[in-house]
Amino acid sequence: MTEQFFSTHPNLSRKEFVAKALEEIGADQALEALRQMYLIRHLETRGEAAYQHGKIGGFYHAYSGQEAIQVAAVQAIGVDNWWTTTYRCHALALLLGESPDAIMAELYGKVTGVAKGRGGSMHLYAKTMLGGFGIVGGHLPIATGAAFSAKYLKEKRISVCFLGDGAVAQGAFHESLNLAALWELPVLFVIENNQWGMGTHVQRAIAFDRMAESQAPSYGIKGYTLNGMDYFGCYTAFKEIAKEVHQNKPVLVECICERFKGHSISDPGLYRSKSELEEAQKKDPILLLSQVLKDAKIVTDAEIAEIDHQAKAVVMEALKFADESKEPSLATLEEGVYAPD
Amino acid sequence: MPLIEMREALRQAIDEEMERDSKVFILGEEVGEYNGAYKVTKGLLDKWGPGRVLDTPIAELGFAGLAIGAAMTGLRPIVEFMSFNFSFVGADQIISNAAKMYYMSGERFSVPIVFRGPNGAAAQVSSQHSHCVEAIYAHFPGLIVVAPSNAYDGKGLLKSAIRCNNPVLVLESELDYGTKGEVPEKEYLVPLGKAKVVQEGNDLTLISHGRAFNLCKKVVEELDLSIELIDLRTIKPLDIPTLIKSVQKTHRCVIVEEGHSFAGVASEVGFQLAEFCFDYLDAPIGRVCQRETPMPYNRGLELETLPNARRIKEKIYEVLR
Repeated sequence: MTEQFFSTHPNLSRKEFVAKALEEIGADQALEALRQMYLIRHLETRGEAAYQHGKIGGFYHAYSGQEAIQVAAVQAIGVDNWWTTTYRCHALALLLGESPDAIMAELYGKVTGVAKGRGGSMHLYAKTMLGGFGIVGGHLPIATGAAFSAKYLKEKRISVCFLGDGAVAQGAFHESLNLAALWELPVLFVIENNQWGMGTHVQRAIAFDRMAESQAPSYGIKGYTLNGMDYFGCYTAFKEIAKEVHQNKPVLVECICERFKGHSISDPGLYRSKSELEEAQKKDPILLLSQVLKDAKIVTDAEIAEIDHQAKAVVMEALKFADESKEPSLATLEEGVYAPD
Repeated sequence: MPLIEMREALRQAIDEEMERDSKVFILGEEVGEYNGAYKVTKGLLDKWGPGRVLDTPIAELGFAGLAIGAAMTGLRPIVEFMSFNFSFVGADQIISNAAKMYYMSGERFSVPIVFRGPNGAAAQVSSQHSHCVEAIYAHFPGLIVVAPSNAYDGKGLLKSAIRCNNPVLVLESELDYGTKGEVPEKEYLVPLGKAKVVQEGNDLTLISHGRAFNLCKKVVEELDLSIELIDLRTIKPLDIPTLIKSVQKTHRCVIVEEGHSFAGVASEVGFQLAEFCFDYLDAPIGRVCQRETPMPYNRGLELETLPNARRIKEKIYEVLR
């Protein structure tokens, strides 16, 4: 039951596929995707700079390079579902409706942050986002439980769980897929295979290629491989796949992508040569999407420059907001350990 | 008042709360078709159906985490661990997710969930099936830990736990499931976080919880001493005011715990009493815990590593000297 690679189509050329996808998505939504991708990229770039200036502590895992996946997923599937992801969670919170101000403020540890300055970079939340989770694979059972709730409460929503390639080696991966398949839960697991589990290449950690396509059949569910750098391929695939998941059929997807930065900010990425990184950056999802939109005469270079400029301005504003926001009062330290009755 | 077994008291609590709130459901190994490894869930599958009484695969990490995810998204799960020893397989979910979520999310997501099942030693089940987990889990802010010693408290505490908006661990004892106690027919709750002075006395305060409490009760009956006997009922949050009040009256204290002595419940209770009652104490606080060995299979060795009547009496006389 393995399925096709979704950024192409067996009967269409790449050009025809993209034209068809663009028609389905619409120029406005595709442009919005470009804006979101620029916003994420600027947020991460400026966030990393703020970290270097000592404004942000702890760890910092940037989403730069992987933007197409979550931008496409949220657009195609809809905000009003349950979402979970790893500690590389800044983009998802943004896409699910948290403001750049509140996200940056959380990174700064301020009381105006999305988690009152208690969660930090790895633990962002939104109304439908159950977290950035800090333990590799530890959120897969949580996402499975959110799908259980949706089915139990007869809600028309699914649960979408992003995980890294490293999590595929965890026991939680197997236990969650088994339970999801066994109980027919509406959960979509999306492996973002950026090819590195911290500094260990995926080939030194995982015994098999094409993780979704090879593993899904063993649970009796469908598995797909996507080009995670391609917004159009991801969007059309997620749109179709979500329909299956809504019928209480869990699905496993692998998005092959590139992480432009180290695992976290403290990782200089010495295990990757300069030419390898340059090669990866040629596949930049922002460049790829920009080119399609320019070719389709939806946007000009000047307009893209303006989108870039505006995104940067929003992030600069967020930095200012975060910087000027108050630290949590020390008197509140022990508040919120337990929920009230 | 009807005299019923602990397992029946717990079953009534689950059944009544499922009746009261459609969001309450139970899952775990053998809770459904098998009617529970210790028959606590007997008849619940027939009554409530497979949508609310779910047999799980043997995958504690998976189903504990699934239940936490369900609790974060609107449900009130009861997770039965066939034994709390197996909770260690899912401990990351309990500790990293359930305990931390409310605080870590800036109070956006609470985790109203109950983990329950037998804790501590049974009869000769050796090293891997005899852990007492209360000290381990009570260590983590965000968790509530209760350990009923009798059917009345079992039912009342479990009902309170199910209604609580936080993760609660209800620690039962395999050897006490068949012990009968008086349980009213009328609905009642036992509040979380309240210890009970079961017997008043003036010579010494004897503090325990769970199955070890019943051993203490027996020992007290055999001694011709005025002992104030306190059942903690809730380990965390600890009802320290009740304990302070007692020790300020008796000036002497022994703490009995089935778990190990090092960094155990007795260590914590004893330290807090030393902090708050230092000037009232006429003797060092004593403790009787499981000795620092894994649980041996041999019956004689097992009885010797566990707190037993002889060791409790010796400690009481030592503190009274």
